[in-house]
Amino acid sequence: MFEHIDPRSPTPLYAQIAARLKLAVASGELRPGETLPSVRQLAARLRVNPATVVQAYRDLEGEGFVEMKQGAGTFVREVASDRRAVERGKQAVRLVRQMMQEAGQIGVTTHELTEAIRQELGAKVA
Amino acid sequence: MSHAVEIRDLHYRAGKTFEIRDLAVNVPTGSMYGFLGPNGSGKTTTIRLMLGLLRPIKGTITVLGGAVPRESPRILARTGYVPEQPHLYTSLTISEALAFHAAFYPTWDWKWANELLGQFQLRRDQGLARLSKGEMGKLEMLLALAQRPELLVLDEPTDGLDPVVRRDVLTALLDYVSQHNATVFISSHLIHELERICDWVGVMDRGRLVTELPMHSFKSGIKRLRVEHAPALPGDTPFVLLAREGGNGSLETWTVRGWQAPMRQYFEGVGASLREIVDLDLEEGFVELLRTFREPTIGA
Repeated sequence: MFEHIDPRSPTPLYAQIAARLKLAVASGELRPGETLPSVRQLAARLRVNPATVVQAYRDLEGEGFVEMKQGAGTFVREVASDRRAVERGKQAVRLVRQMMQEAGQIGVTTHELTEAIRQELGAKVA
Repeated sequence: MSHAVEIRDLHYRAGKTFEIRDLAVNVPTGSMYGFLGPNGSGKTTTIRLMLGLLRPIKGTITVLGGAVPRESPRILARTGYVPEQPHLYTSLTISEALAFHAAFYPTWDWKWANELLGQFQLRRDQGLARLSKGEMGKLEMLLALAQRPELLVLDEPTDGLDPVVRRDVLTALLDYVSQHNATVFISSHLIHELERICDWVGVMDRGRLVTELPMHSFKSGIKRLRVEHAPALPGDTPFVLLAREGGNGSLETWTVRGWQAPMRQYFEGVGASLREIVDLDLEEGFVELLRTFREPTIGA
């Protein structure tokens, strides 16, 4: 799940971890009631500072995605489907921004980009 | 904020050519502090001063609330140290080295030492003289961890180790920190490794501290900017201009420090336009910082 966590990115690691978990909740990859890995496990697995994992989990808790139960672990909460759709929408915007930025750097015009998207979508449907 | 290590106004000289000047270092309690610097910049010397192994000309060093060297025994009993060069008696076996080490530390944890032996795949009867570099690295980390220290001082703990061993050693370290609120002071050339685990950075060069700040500030503050129609004289910039280089035509590349998004207004004010902001990772930021620290040309 955490293949894309990139310590070299300017986005802080805790924010990357929280964003990835939010997406997992939004997409249904993580179901309500499921347990997240313990701070200790996840820190060791990603080789990051445990404080980074704690901060990611606290942020998720603050936004209502998970619940931290003392001594028992961190659990995924029931998240309303419209809220999950909002999260997926945010993710879509992020993807488009990233694409636009890369396109700008290599001189691809907006028109060329939209054409390419249209074609690729068409190819996928067909 | 309390500090596990506080160094004030430290001066030290070795021979005629090397000196440490006006050194001030603050390591927040509970942080993982990455200590960066090129070879010969004074990292190991600073660590040895911190542990009371060298005597400064002047200055004060406080570690875990105690003054070095006056309270060194009490401090060292609570500090785990992995030196740059292995410092163990090579005539011992692993078993004997453990027993020898354990005798110095009242907080030594045999149960965990045994677990780590298994995790690191070390055998008790192995003689230290015959250990591979990787096995020695793991043993050094094991000894530092099993004493359950409040402060870990690691001098290039993974230098020269293969990726598998490095991962084992770091995992054990992170596992310990997850369970105890220990402070970790770690010097390394492996910048990408520090980028993952550290929340504070200190950079040394030529016996002086170049900068010390939280990792996220360091990383988010250093940018490369592509500027069109840049003014010949930058005037009062809200950021620190580290370097500027001409490119093709009217486009210049500026390397800046202390960047924040609202500062783009500066460019409108001077009739220039900001075309692109490029993020730098820790290694690039580190290299840029040192380059301009050594050759202060502009904006400084």
